[in-house]
Amino acid sequence: MHSILEQFLEKWVWPTAPGARGAPFRLRLTEEKCLKGWEIALQSSLTEIEKGLASDNDDWQRRVALGGYAGEGVQMSIKQMSAQLLSVDLNEQERYIDLQRMRARQVWDECKHSKLHVEVLMAKGWIKNERELTQNPVAHTQPLPAYFGLSMMFPHIHPLARAAQHYFVEAIACLGIAAYLHLVDDPMVRHEHLSQRDEELMHFMEGKYKIDTYCTTPENQKPVEDTLDFLLHRLRVSL
Amino acid sequence: MPTLKIDHERCTECRMCYLACRELNLNAVYVALEPLHRLEIDPHKCTYPVCTVCLAYCPAEGSIVEAESGRWLVPPPPDVHRWWLKPVSV
Repeated sequence: MHSILEQFLEKWVWPTAPGARGAPFRLRLTEEKCLKGWEIALQSSLTEIEKGLASDNDDWQRRVALGGYAGEGVQMSIKQMSAQLLSVDLNEQERYIDLQRMRARQVWDECKHSKLHVEVLMAKGWIKNERELTQNPVAHTQPLPAYFGLSMMFPHIHPLARAAQHYFVEAIACLGIAAYLHLVDDPMVRHEHLSQRDEELMHFMEGKYKIDTYCTTPENQKPVEDTLDFLLHRLRVSL
Repeated sequence: MPTLKIDHERCTECRMCYLACRELNLNAVYVALEPLHRLEIDPHKCTYPVCTVCLAYCPAEGSIVEAESGRWLVPPPPDVHRWWLKPVSV
């Protein structure tokens, strides 16, 4: 096991509140399903970064920043939020104004994430301002149907399925950030990842807490298991 | 008994501790009546070291400390955390 993953497990995964009734379930899932996925994802990040560092120039950083902008920015936000808003029939929309407000705030939140990628692109001199990105298809193209895939397919997924998504996927985000901090000296790249680190870990903790607290019966555990199977399938992980 | 306090230099105000403490109905973590509405821990309600729930789910390293010694308790160090749940095979 890579030391980055080992450290992550020791610091953030294994510590569990005494008496948390869902914790044995979470720890079993971690052992049986998550660890392999996390190892593969971390290795993939490390390989990708090493490949970039071995190249003659820092163009790989431009590609990563543009990909990050596409994956977290305006286009992704609008796609994800539209799917969630349209899960309510148009005639019913006025009855769910809170949903609209919440999703509007989330568009704003997601678009702030993309500013980090813009900072890198501007600091490196690849763009002069964010508006240029509206003309760049690479900044708006990503292979997933929506953020992490789940949201677009299931606008009203089970709350504990969301917890599984947070637990598994945000851990991958944390490991990816740790991989960059481990290998890359460039201050802009480090800044971009450091400034994102707390939020990803907080989302991971949300998932961990919800599973530990609420996944106490087979009925409540099933959505978590199903979600993990789906996410591992997408990562092409066979257990 | 040692008590906990929040280091505002490190806390990100994500409120995981507030939520977890409220769920147990201890209500030791509260939003202080001050201009920044920061989180604080009431030592009279907090049952640390019996309860360590806030330490297990806090994502901000070093943000909850032992008030008397200033020792970082996030992530929970081995002598504070109950390691009995750790899988044997890992």
